[in-house]
Amino acid sequence: MRWGLLRAAIASAATVPMIPAVASAHLVNTGLGPFYDGISHLTLTPEDLLPAIALALLAGLRGAYAGRLALFIFPASWLIGGLAGLAWPTVGTAPVPIAVGFILLGGLVATDANIKPSWVVVLAIGLGLFHGYLNGAAMSQARLGALGLGGIVAALFAVVALVAALVVALRPPWTRIAVRVAGSWIVAVGLLLLGWSLRAA
Amino acid sequence: MKRRGGLFPLLAMAFMLVAAETAPAHEVRPGFLELREIDPNTYSLLWKRPTGGEVEIQIAPVVPEGCRLSTPDRQQLTPGAVVVRGTLTCEGGIAAKTLRVAGLETTITDVLVRIHHADGRLESHLLRPATPSVTLGGLTSGLQRGISYVQLGFQHILLGVDHLLFVLGLLLIVSSRWMLFKTVTAFTAAHSITLAIATLGYASVPLPPLNAAIALSILFLGPEIVRAWRGETSFTIRHPWVVAFAFGLLHGFGFASGLTTMGLPRAEIPLALLLFNVGVELGQLGFVILILLLERAFSVLEVRWPRLAARLPGYAVGTLGAYWTIQRTLILLGGLR
Repeated sequence: MRWGLLRAAIASAATVPMIPAVASAHLVNTGLGPFYDGISHLTLTPEDLLPAIALALLAGLRGAYAGRLALFIFPASWLIGGLAGLAWPTVGTAPVPIAVGFILLGGLVATDANIKPSWVVVLAIGLGLFHGYLNGAAMSQARLGALGLGGIVAALFAVVALVAALVVALRPPWTRIAVRVAGSWIVAVGLLLLGWSLRAA
Repeated sequence: MKRRGGLFPLLAMAFMLVAAETAPAHEVRPGFLELREIDPNTYSLLWKRPTGGEVEIQIAPVVPEGCRLSTPDRQQLTPGAVVVRGTLTCEGGIAAKTLRVAGLETTITDVLVRIHHADGRLESHLLRPATPSVTLGGLTSGLQRGISYVQLGFQHILLGVDHLLFVLGLLLIVSSRWMLFKTVTAFTAAHSITLAIATLGYASVPLPPLNAAIALSILFLGPEIVRAWRGETSFTIRHPWVVAFAFGLLHGFGFASGLTTMGLPRAEIPLALLLFNVGVELGQLGFVILILLLERAFSVLEVRWPRLAARLPGYAVGTLGAYWTIQRTLILLGGLR
């Protein structure tokens, strides 16, 4: 299992540079300092919040072990991606890969895909590095720095912990269906975003 | 319910980050700017800039374009604030003029702006680092004024990392849900009492010794948390609500500094006090609920923290308490010299 996880992690990290990633910058200014700005950014930015919720739902559906993996690997990857973005920022937006991420994750949740925990790790690393890089690059321009990134990662950790644990704790069969319905909504949001992006392009 | 021997080490790191962020600019008491219309083109001005905290913040209102400010008296130094009085003359009145507070964007504090018009209208704005200017002349409803007081209270607790750290220390000590309820209620009741006493002007505590005492209250919890880890007992561990009440009285004076600096009109104080306290309680309750939910989430996900990581929150309480105690005592002694 450990070799499987390691291979999955390497494969996931290797695919990230292939994504034409460019930074999108709409950061929140709470007036409470960069750490709270980072927390507010995650909670008020659907492009970042929805994939985090989707991954937590997926990990929760796959059980406590997958939930634990997502809980630690996803924020850690986001942090590494964010630090890379702070160091080597680029300017622009990346709506298509974000929309594809919504559709992929939402689809996996909606179908209650019986994937191995190692695939949850792959998704956590890939998404974390990608979104983290975009955040880091945007924060570099906004001069929010590592404290802002720390706020995002802290909020991300809390969101994944709460959502994944909620799903793991669900017992009645209908509640699992409710989670899948949430996944279908995320797919719908992804399709809308993709359509809008392609139309605008 | 088990004692929270350290279920949230990452929370401890988050505290360190916020503490690192707020330490160089730890002045969250708001400034206050009041304009009273004397005649259609003339306003008496009252400006209060918070001072006497751990750091001096340099903020000042910028006279709107087309206006002239005369300040015949020198600025006065009152407890907790520098006060400037003067007369603002604006040809054609202040409607549609832009008022800005210079330097606000580099702080984490707010400025409450109030304008009393001759026809009895009251205009109120909360300037924040993100929005350090406002266009004057708009009407302000009682609801808007109320929301700004709730915001002030909420912000005061969020930026008051020392208050939150004290609450975290209490959460690490209590061992049952009933005791948790009693402890949080005792802390809330105690700080509400002194918040009211200080805001209504019945008592006041100078800021430097108050801040040092608040830091000492956090440091006090450090050894108690270690005792709880070791399975030992003490008065604090047996009756944490008593300690919460006693130190809550101190913390209430700290919260009050968020309101007393402004020197609000007497008629406004009951509303401001109530809503400011509502904001503080909302922030505190949100924090406690978040901690409890995270604890439950870690339990459901079967997270097993390494021993050292599990003890990080306790160490964060103790070391930050010690650091602030030393820092604030030095500031206090420096002020006495």
